[in-house]
Amino acid sequence: MGMETAKTVFKCREKASELFGLSNPENLVFTKNCTEALNIVLMSIGSEGGHFIISDLEHNSVLRPLFELEKRGKISFSVARTFEAEPEKTVESFRKLIRSDTKMIAATGSSNVFGIKLPLEMLSELAHEHGILFLGDLAQTAGSEKINMKESGMDFVCAPGHKGLLGPMGTGILAAERPELLKPHLFGGTGTYSLVPRQPEGLPEMLESGTLNVPGICGLSAGIEKILETGEENIAKKEIRLAKMLYGELSKIDNITLFTKIPEKETHSAVLSFVLGDLNGEETAAVLSEKGVASRGGFHCASLAHHKMGTEKRGTCRLSIGPMNTQEEILKLIGIIKSLSKKY
Amino acid sequence: MKEYFFLLSSITSAMKGEEILRKKGYRANIFRDTKMNPYGCGYVIKAFGEKEKLENVLKSAGIRINETRESR
Repeated sequence: MGMETAKTVFKCREKASELFGLSNPENLVFTKNCTEALNIVLMSIGSEGGHFIISDLEHNSVLRPLFELEKRGKISFSVARTFEAEPEKTVESFRKLIRSDTKMIAATGSSNVFGIKLPLEMLSELAHEHGILFLGDLAQTAGSEKINMKESGMDFVCAPGHKGLLGPMGTGILAAERPELLKPHLFGGTGTYSLVPRQPEGLPEMLESGTLNVPGICGLSAGIEKILETGEENIAKKEIRLAKMLYGELSKIDNITLFTKIPEKETHSAVLSFVLGDLNGEETAAVLSEKGVASRGGFHCASLAHHKMGTEKRGTCRLSIGPMNTQEEILKLIGIIKSLSKKY
Repeated sequence: MKEYFFLLSSITSAMKGEEILRKKGYRANIFRDTKMNPYGCGYVIKAFGEKEKLENVLKSAGIRINETRESR
């Protein structure tokens, strides 16, 4: 890697560390996506055994590594019931599952299907009260929810680059306050200790074998810079205002099914799931696509969340509002859905 | 005041070290190590100052120095 390129990559590490309140930018690892970052943490910690607690809103990228570790006889895990817009009840639910061998609590910042937020700081505090590690999956909240790892005591957080961080697809981040607990999942060239056969210790190189996605990281750097300039609070305010407007209008339409309460900034991210008439989630997304609306239909790689909300047969259509969306676009979308609702 | 070369193995550590030294008012630059050190590829921070003080700045930032060389 050339010096100028290395500087650009390092600048991105520094910006991302600032965004997450990470103590040391060296402990910021670039991955190819959030799934890889979550796998590194779960497989590292899980390789030593123990009990894990996750929420009933987790994405498969948390569920499946733990399922695999359990299948291998390494760990056991429990799924805590969560309560929409009731953070204390959710924390209590996690508390009841803590055992003497519980090693980690892993929770998403917000459901990628229903936008229901979880109280990550309270859960991190709960974990530390019991000497348990905490992993935050920020796939849905990075860029719109302020996180300070140093202050909140979160041990690990993972985020994709292409969602709220406004970067390109194929980028992800792992930020670690407990780097000494991580283990490499890939071995190879790191540009360091080249004459030594042993994988180098120390982050970030230990976890970044092979050529980095430098073009992706440059794009991610620009995205993070934009967030640092705008501020997560301002981004969240705008997104939730638009989500509330959309929810308010959709809830007035008879043959639209919504699955959550009206979104509020404290308890929801700007993600709405719905279905139209008797259509399933995939069909709803398909008719929206014909009208030029980008949405995501189906099960969103989140079996736990769909089982929790009773949508495991029909799925849902997810609408995600980003910081670049405008009120005009939301009004146009409402018009399209109203018109489709007369047909289906 | 002398010129010192701090040999490091990680480009990320080198970047961090250069930045911290500059913030403390030292003249510092990094470049690739061309002396073919026994560890393989490496990076060097070139800095001007007192050896112990420079080393302390780097060490207190958690930077592992493989070797320190004095400019001849």
